[in-house]
Amino acid sequence: MIKILYILKKEFLLIFRDIHALGVLFVMPALFILIMSLAMRDLFELHSGAKIDVLTVNRDRGTKAEEFLKAIGETGAFRLHLIGKENPAEAVRKQMEASDYKFVLIVREDFSDFVEKQERDKKEKPLELLVNPTVNVQTQLVLKSALEERLARLQWGVFLDSIDKLLVLAGIDKGKLPVSGESAVMVNYAYRGGQDFTAPSAVQQSVPAWLVFSMFFIVIPLSNTFIAEKDQGTFMRLKSMNVSKLSLLLGKMAPYLLVNAVQVIIMMAIGRYVVPFCGGTALTPGRSPGGLILITAAVSFGALSVALLIASLARTTEQATTIGGVMNIIFGALGGIMVPKFVMPGFMQHLADLSPMSWGLEGFLDIFLRNGGVAEVLPKCLALSIFGLVMLTLTVIVLRRQREV
Amino acid sequence: MIDIKKLYKSYGERPVLEDVNLSIRRGSILGLLGPNGAGKTTLISILTGVIGKDSGSITVGDLDLDRDSGAIQSMCSYVPQTMAFYPRLSAAENLEYFGALWGLRGRKLKERMEFSIASGSMQAFARQRVDTFSGGMKRRLNLAIGLLNDPEIMYLDEPTVGVDAQSRNYLLETIRKINRERHTTIIYTSHYMDEIEQVADDIAVIDGGKIILHDSKQAVLTSIDSTTVNVEELGEAAAQDLRDIEGIELGKDRIIVNRDEHFNENMARVFAVIQVRGLRVRDMACGKRTLEELFLNLTSAKLRDNKEGDRL
Repeated sequence: MIKILYILKKEFLLIFRDIHALGVLFVMPALFILIMSLAMRDLFELHSGAKIDVLTVNRDRGTKAEEFLKAIGETGAFRLHLIGKENPAEAVRKQMEASDYKFVLIVREDFSDFVEKQERDKKEKPLELLVNPTVNVQTQLVLKSALEERLARLQWGVFLDSIDKLLVLAGIDKGKLPVSGESAVMVNYAYRGGQDFTAPSAVQQSVPAWLVFSMFFIVIPLSNTFIAEKDQGTFMRLKSMNVSKLSLLLGKMAPYLLVNAVQVIIMMAIGRYVVPFCGGTALTPGRSPGGLILITAAVSFGALSVALLIASLARTTEQATTIGGVMNIIFGALGGIMVPKFVMPGFMQHLADLSPMSWGLEGFLDIFLRNGGVAEVLPKCLALSIFGLVMLTLTVIVLRRQREV
Repeated sequence: MIDIKKLYKSYGERPVLEDVNLSIRRGSILGLLGPNGAGKTTLISILTGVIGKDSGSITVGDLDLDRDSGAIQSMCSYVPQTMAFYPRLSAAENLEYFGALWGLRGRKLKERMEFSIASGSMQAFARQRVDTFSGGMKRRLNLAIGLLNDPEIMYLDEPTVGVDAQSRNYLLETIRKINRERHTTIIYTSHYMDEIEQVADDIAVIDGGKIILHDSKQAVLTSIDSTTVNVEELGEAAAQDLRDIEGIELGKDRIIVNRDEHFNENMARVFAVIQVRGLRVRDMACGKRTLEELFLNLTSAKLRDNKEGDRL
């Protein structure tokens, strides 16, 4: 036991004197969390103040377009930039490209006629939308449905006005009639154990994602020391001192388990205190310390086991760093770290389940986002533990086959 | 002290040690010589319990390596040819770590650290990080770590590689001092023949996984006082006649007769073979060869470019 304490002390001294390892383990994920939480704030948070800029040309001969555009502006989701109707189509396009607008809304001359007449040709299109090809389909749909909804409301208002006298005769209060286009859907987030929990935010998504990513980056410092020990003959010296393989492996794993735990604490603190200081939302840590400890330990075990396997297979630190780095990026891209799983198509979401980072991420999301506890993270912990045991077994086999050990 | 009998070890199909028999006296320094790939490091790795053997027996005192490897390891110390420590730690931190792994605690650990620091003459820089050390300082630390457990047996694998003359001299003196004062049995491998001449009591030469010479240093140095007969072409028949005769060594077109108790008798044999086989004598030389000449003669002078040579 005391030997393990000295091994821990040695490993900590090595880590904290390795500026590159510290950068990879602490600075990189801290920056990722900070940047991604702020950059993706508007993607996750409905209440955010982000607006879509729309270059707008009002060519309407009547007055209804003004009313329509005012209503669109009042949704709070769009910022309309009006330019003169004398601009020809080509000039509008040029301005769109020059100012990097994603959308141009052109209100055609017959807009008011279209709204006011009761019978219309279905082929009539009083609104034209020019879309930058880089804009994703979801954002296009948001603008398109907002336009359609406000147009429908406008038409409904005109229709009610036209039957005003009939309504009075029938004793119907026009103000109490349902407004066409008004949403009948109420959105609530479904958390375990009740409703009084935080809304999903960028920080709730970013902290788990980049935390798991950084925990797997333990491969770099671990393999550096492991391969250096093999190269420099330290491993051989330790073996000649009757230090068992198990002690050597445990001695390697135990300090890095603690390093991973320190990573979790620091990254959570950044989400909790630094991100809001920079204008983002504060991280809510969930209500299950037990679940958090369990998933941290499981992710750490999985990450360390695969790191040990890479370290034992690689002949040089360069090899280990390259293999470990590439593997992490693939695991991360596949596992929903870089691109959230919910934006992936169905088959990619199934593929994501192959990545151990995805299991870890889902576990942390259970705690941070779904208000889950031990029971919810247990299956992910089990999967990560089995993965870790398989990797460790392979490591022992590889080490046995190597003459030096 | 150490008895090795019929030791055999192979890596896959390739034998690395074959029928190795060697006895090492308690309190002696054995200089183990061999070209790259001869099997020196494999032999030491087996003796230190780092790797297993395929067959044969090794006993250390009354202990058998197969049964009592833990006990044997605790009385031994291995100083690898590489700098086997942590460059980002200080010398004292390295010593503390390895001492703790030897099971030393508290005052005992402190005492052994102080002894090791003094032995390596490292008092002035014990608290400095090792990655700031010169090559000689690192070699001294490498040796000092090997002294922590006050070993009865030390395996020193080329302990002076890459150091300046002063550091080398200091290391050799320290090794002799340890042997003299603590009666530590030392197995010392080196490519520097002069080092072996300086420190060893006994000399063993290993090549192709076999011990081809093992004797006291005195006997080996006597044997290198010799007469060399250079012929134009030795030929297989003449070589056959002279092979396996004690005191006669054969080189390429060269017959070496050691100046030992069989010298006169052996010279007569050589001249008889020269006459019978019709060899043409080119010249003759009398005098001392160097240990290096003996080594090259025994192991043949051809280059050893085995990629795994350093590890074998």
